[in-house]
Amino acid sequence: MRKHWILRLVAVFLGFTLLAAACGNDSSDGDAVEQDGGDTGGDTGGDGGDTGGDTGGDTGGDTGEDGGEDTVDLVQGGSVLAKVQDAGVVECGGNDTLPGFGIVDADGAFSGFDIDFCGVIAAAVLGDASAVNVTPLLAAQRFPTLQSGEIDVLIRNTTWTASRDGNEQANFLHTTFYDGQGFMVRDDSSIATLADANNASICVLTGTTTLLNLNAVLADRGIAFTPVTFESNDELNPAFQAGQCEVWTSDASQLAAFAATMDIPTRILPEIISKEPLGPVVADGDTQWAQVVNWATMATIQAWEFGINQENLSSFTDSEDTNIRRFLGLPIVDGDGNESIAEVGLGLPTDFAWNIIEQVGNYEDIFNRNLAGIGLTLAGSPNDLWTNGGLQYVPPFR
Amino acid sequence: MHYVSAGPGEAHGHTTNWGDVSMIRFLLAVLAVAVVLTGVYVVGRLIYDIVQLIGERRRSKNDAALPPLWRDVKALGIAAQIGVLAIIVAVIAYLRSNFLTRAEDIGLNLSFDFLDQPAGISIADNPLGPNDTVSEALTQGFLNTIRVILIGIPAALILGTLIGIARLSSNWVLQKLATGYVEFFRNIPPLVVIIVMWRVVFLEGFPRSQEAWKPLGGWFIFSNNRFAFPSLLGQDNFDAFRLILLLGLLAAAAVAVWRTRVFNETGSPHHRVLWGVGTFVGIATVAYVALGAPIATSKPALDEAGRVFSGGLRMQMPYAALTTALVIYTATHIAEIVRGSILAVHRGQVEAANALALSGFQRYRFVVLPQAMRIAFPPLINQFLNFSKNSSLAIAIGFSEVTSLVNDLFGQSQPAPQLILILMLFYLTLSLVLSAVGNLINRRLQVVGR
Repeated sequence: MRKHWILRLVAVFLGFTLLAAACGNDSSDGDAVEQDGGDTGGDTGGDGGDTGGDTGGDTGGDTGEDGGEDTVDLVQGGSVLAKVQDAGVVECGGNDTLPGFGIVDADGAFSGFDIDFCGVIAAAVLGDASAVNVTPLLAAQRFPTLQSGEIDVLIRNTTWTASRDGNEQANFLHTTFYDGQGFMVRDDSSIATLADANNASICVLTGTTTLLNLNAVLADRGIAFTPVTFESNDELNPAFQAGQCEVWTSDASQLAAFAATMDIPTRILPEIISKEPLGPVVADGDTQWAQVVNWATMATIQAWEFGINQENLSSFTDSEDTNIRRFLGLPIVDGDGNESIAEVGLGLPTDFAWNIIEQVGNYEDIFNRNLAGIGLTLAGSPNDLWTNGGLQYVPPFR
Repeated sequence: MHYVSAGPGEAHGHTTNWGDVSMIRFLLAVLAVAVVLTGVYVVGRLIYDIVQLIGERRRSKNDAALPPLWRDVKALGIAAQIGVLAIIVAVIAYLRSNFLTRAEDIGLNLSFDFLDQPAGISIADNPLGPNDTVSEALTQGFLNTIRVILIGIPAALILGTLIGIARLSSNWVLQKLATGYVEFFRNIPPLVVIIVMWRVVFLEGFPRSQEAWKPLGGWFIFSNNRFAFPSLLGQDNFDAFRLILLLGLLAAAAVAVWRTRVFNETGSPHHRVLWGVGTFVGIATVAYVALGAPIATSKPALDEAGRVFSGGLRMQMPYAALTTALVIYTATHIAEIVRGSILAVHRGQVEAANALALSGFQRYRFVVLPQAMRIAFPPLINQFLNFSKNSSLAIAIGFSEVTSLVNDLFGQSQPAPQLILILMLFYLTLSLVLSAVGNLINRRLQVVGR
């Protein structure tokens, strides 16, 4: 009696799984087809002023199709902007071991230059700079994580290179920090220039362009060396301090950041062997999201150029300058007395720049808040504004 | 224009190891073939079962005792197989379509052409250069993994066996020490053991190479960068000497066999180890003198700046830290297996050995351990596999084995999905080979046991 009951249960279960499997196959095929159709439509429709309309259509269609299955939406493409607005949070890939740029404190709170730019994007898109979820990533993990769609944007002292643009399906946006690869030694070391480092052991992080530069440049200059590669600065830092390697190579800003926290006196060699432009990165295939992240980032620099910062922002509500009013999303009065608010059609709210400056600040605010403490100065560096002879130059906001 | 052909000495300038490109592609091909064959086998078996069932039911159609189809155990069994198969296929199909959709969305390159691209990385103490290809780099990383395993597994086995025996010792101090060691290290995750061993013992415990510690008149060099030991170096006539040593080994084996036969026929003590070693040492000594000292000792040296180690046998510090930590960790598990297996040997065996007045050593060597090892071997294979897989934790402490190397390659914009697939294949192949060897040894042991 009992046995029959069990067998029947098994049969029912099997029938059910068979059915489920069959349905699963059907629906996934269907999804794929629909998705393709949707993409084609969007592409042919052009990407001019219809961005807002497209977003609405996509969101509606998606929710209608598969209800609560967010994962399917996320993985199978669609608009990242709509996903972020829907979730109410920006998923940001960051660093958790680099003082000044991205570091986590004892309470699990992230802070730093890169982390602030995550906040800039959240302030622009969602109007709330704290609506950020930072995922700490190791160097080697960051591109696979970005490719998988697990994070919306990667801001983790990541160098813009051709092979990453090409091979990693990464879309690099406006450079937030111009850096270069440098070398650090103990103060009592016999190494004065790079040429003295022949045969030395050099500590370097795995999964970085630093290792590639190191190999290429030192091979060209005929300098032999032993690479000692670590996955994380948590191990590399003690290895350098204990003298397992004589030289530590990394982006010069990182070396400065670590030197500031070290007990032993150190020295940075005069050579900078590479260009390392660091900035936010998004995955290929979503131009709209890339534009949103790009313009949100550049707004901090435009604000700096206009002289608008976190403190004096409120004094600009009655600014006479049309460009500033346009930038901040303030109403512009024409000759007939009609008020209008400029709409640039990026899919961002009209007051996105206002929110960014109010909640996070302009570029100078962000730089001084995070990097002044580790001994980096803005004035005279490549990161200064173009009007001061630096490299920070952004297209006009109109 | 003057053309100089490469002499025999220059032929080894570039490192090409047993056709590395073909090796990785071969592994991938083997995987594909294995997957297809498994699929064909499973489906074929299922169809065979169904045909059998239909035939059976048709033959006994008029048999009143025949249960209806939904109560036929065989039919239900087939249905269950189909169900499980459908679930597996559905899950794989879902994951695959998910992956491919995303890959197409962002334009991921899924080919394996990157294997022939320059890797752009170099490894400590390895001839691999930045212009060598990705597959050469992967091969060198794989060889580094094997270097850890080749030294580590035998060391863990020996240490574990000794500790396992010590845990059963009647010496109170020894027994408690062994128990403490096992309980301490067995209950710590291997990554923590590795990092602590690297950080506390090796990194902070040894001086930096500028202030290296050179005990015994500089025959040993210890620093937190590298270790160096004296080694033997071949001189003139080295090839001839090596050949004679090989012949000497054969002669020693022949002598041992002869002594065994004498023992079996006459019962006089065989002393075959003594005779064998004596033969070998005798031949080696004569050859050494006759060939005019074909080998010399090589003393390690370190330059003034404390950077270049030369001569002797050199070892990277992370390698030493990793191997030591893994041996210490794995030995605890092996010790527990050995202890359990010794306890599983029937008490009558020990009593019989005592009744024969065998010494404590003889009792273990001839009676207990051979039987215990027979019981211990299958679970020991498991520990060997764990050892080989735990070697991937070296990534934390900077030893360039294959996992760490794959991470290096990620940094050079080499594609992650393909590299992870190759990495999985490496570990799969390694584990399958290890367990195949282990099973062979195990079968030999079991045959002896009748």
